[in-house]
Amino acid sequence: MLSRVADALFWMSRYLERAEQTARLLDVCFHLELDLHGVGAGPHELHWTSLAATLRQRVPSAHLESSTPQAALSEWLMFRADNADSILSCVSRARGNARNIRSALHPAQWRELNKLYWQLSDAEFRERARESPHDFLHAVECGNCLFQGICDSLCNHDEGWQFLQLGKFLERAATTLRILDIQYHLLTDLSNPLDLPLANLEWAAVLRGCQSYDAYQRLHGGRIEPEGVVGFLLARGDSPRSVRFCLEAAERALKSIEENSTRRGLSHPERILGLMRADLEYRGLDEILTAPLHVFLTLMQDRCAEVSRVVQERYSLQ
Amino acid sequence: MLEFSTDRLLPNADLFSGYTLGTAYDEMFEATDRPRPHYRALYRRLQLLSPDEFRRRKAMSDLSMLQNGVGFTVYRQEEGIERIWPMDPVPRIIPAGEWRQIERGLIQRLLALNLFLKDIYHDQLILRDRVVDPRLIYEGAFFRREFMGATVPRDIYIHVCGTDLIRDLDGRYLVLEDNARTPSGVSYMLHNRQVLKRVFPPLFEQCDVRGTDDYPAALLDVLKYIAPPGRLDPTVVLLSPGIYNSAYFEHTFLAQRMGIELVEGRDLVVDGNRVHMRTTRGLERVDVIYRRIDDDFLDPLTFRADSALGVPGLVNVYRAGQVALANSIGTGIADDKGIYPFVPDIIRYYLKQDAILPNVETFRPLVANHLSHILHNLDKLVVKTVNESGGYGMLIGPASTAAQREEFSARVRAHPRDYIAQPTIQLSTHPTFVDGSLEGRHVDLRPFVLCGEKITVVPGALTRVALPRGSLVVNSSQGGGSKDTWVLAE
Repeated sequence: MLSRVADALFWMSRYLERAEQTARLLDVCFHLELDLHGVGAGPHELHWTSLAATLRQRVPSAHLESSTPQAALSEWLMFRADNADSILSCVSRARGNARNIRSALHPAQWRELNKLYWQLSDAEFRERARESPHDFLHAVECGNCLFQGICDSLCNHDEGWQFLQLGKFLERAATTLRILDIQYHLLTDLSNPLDLPLANLEWAAVLRGCQSYDAYQRLHGGRIEPEGVVGFLLARGDSPRSVRFCLEAAERALKSIEENSTRRGLSHPERILGLMRADLEYRGLDEILTAPLHVFLTLMQDRCAEVSRVVQERYSLQ
Repeated sequence: MLEFSTDRLLPNADLFSGYTLGTAYDEMFEATDRPRPHYRALYRRLQLLSPDEFRRRKAMSDLSMLQNGVGFTVYRQEEGIERIWPMDPVPRIIPAGEWRQIERGLIQRLLALNLFLKDIYHDQLILRDRVVDPRLIYEGAFFRREFMGATVPRDIYIHVCGTDLIRDLDGRYLVLEDNARTPSGVSYMLHNRQVLKRVFPPLFEQCDVRGTDDYPAALLDVLKYIAPPGRLDPTVVLLSPGIYNSAYFEHTFLAQRMGIELVEGRDLVVDGNRVHMRTTRGLERVDVIYRRIDDDFLDPLTFRADSALGVPGLVNVYRAGQVALANSIGTGIADDKGIYPFVPDIIRYYLKQDAILPNVETFRPLVANHLSHILHNLDKLVVKTVNESGGYGMLIGPASTAAQREEFSARVRAHPRDYIAQPTIQLSTHPTFVDGSLEGRHVDLRPFVLCGEKITVVPGALTRVALPRGSLVVNSSQGGGSKDTWVLAE
């Protein structure tokens, strides 16, 4: 397949996953906001601070110093065109990529993406989103789910599909690693017994942000334990939201892309992914948690970025 | 789901109420309330639809166009505005008898134009015999002297031709112009049918409409036919300038329907006098390029050096016969408006036949008595720049101001080769949905002709309609729309 097409598919998938992640994290924040009023004392703005950090957004200070900082922040994350990673920008970049390679897409893929774009760009819809963001954020989640569903059930699982998988799972792994990194750091400070209800809510929010709350609750009832969350999100083999699952899926996609290649041996991106997976699989959670988690998670995040870089190097002969 | 209840048959709710016939030939009506025989079934169907119902369905079709991204982008100051190209839901119908004549005429015309191009780029007998003035060729902006003497696969220059036909007051079909470079519009012909079938299925009842779906396969046959010898399963690609091109939708549509790769110039590379595309597994050889890029931008080494759209070295590979191009290079001299008046002579010269489809009467400023006729009748004539298309660089006499006529008068005198003039023809009108009812709007007709092993015309066409009342300019860039066009079976 054309290198340019492969590259566009890979990034299209990443942008859409990113839009969905941002939407979900924002939605969780709005809900947390409502819940926290009932909890009593505690640092209430925690989740807003961590949201910007998780999304690695350098929010212009003018937005944060406004009289309604949360409204300004959500505006920045949802709509702003000058924010390349706002939801609308991500969807519009994904659509831009799709347009560039339209003939290589299934018509239904293009149509869904295009519908989503027009829906989110609609002025009336956006106005309503400012009052009740849930509909808007839900539309983004549904849009991506529908898009990925079309890919899975209508398209050939050919090389192009594999690049979509690669993009989606790498992006998801990277975001999940970042969420864990930031939240673990912030929330382990809440060790005072008085803060327990707050910590519980916050940890539930972390799980919700990773679309894993219900799956987690099914396994562990009762109060949410930080180690349990880390274990679930990092190493749970059968959860499509866990880092390990994402890395395995990305590795499978790469293997399939390389299948008919005349090049011998493991490709560079495969080697990095294999290392990461081995760390999760063989080192075990206990050992990972004995060292500062931040160091481990940083290493993993760096490797994710490295995979993305070498994938482009390998498949785009420019 | 689709019901037409009779209670909608209120006299005041008729889509046709207030439909008036002008002086132009009307496609549907031979007289007030009297549809032509081939329109009767459609007329009855339309009468059963209330304007509200019609409006609702029209909105469905517009939405579907938007969601499928069927349209073009207009660029003004960097910011692209995406527009759909509106389809008017009332189809245009061509009866079998009329189509037969159109088909024969188009085949004859393309046959002659291909012979003409081969002659022009080789022996130039037609110039030696003074049927066409050599100056017209050498001064033509689209003549490619770089391509003299080059052989092209199977001697075919124009593989895809879109010929614009109009009808005069008597309903006679006339050729307005040929598009022999990179004609577009065929995707709308195909897509309009899909949408109309979905949104107005009952209209098709009792009408025996010939299918157009075969076009992409027929085009692919043509492209494979010209592949370099010995390439058994040739790799065919469509070369597009990319998303900024107004016909980008069409490029993606055709590539998808033919199942071939859409490439941009940056995807291709010339190596060892072969063309390759850059893939995830390295370079892969390309055999045939359906190019939708103008000659000028095709190869910066041969044509415009500042163009980044093309492929350096492509023309050389083409000359060596290691890649095929459709259309070939230099076909623009055949659809040059300065050559257009001579096409009937060209047909006679090569085929010893009279043209089946006549031209529109044309005056050439290069001829002394034509020039004075043009200058005295600017208010009645249409003056066209020979090297422009898309409805640009035109003076429509009856709708012009004195200042515009003054300007064109000076330009025509200064550059007589660059202009032609034609009487203002009242293009035929067709019922078109405007503001809740049907009104007559002017239309033209662009069928698409393919030339491979034989010349074929897919039974269908693009009908373009000028949406503003009284307007004679049907181009999409000038506020035009399109219609599905039905060719009826025998």
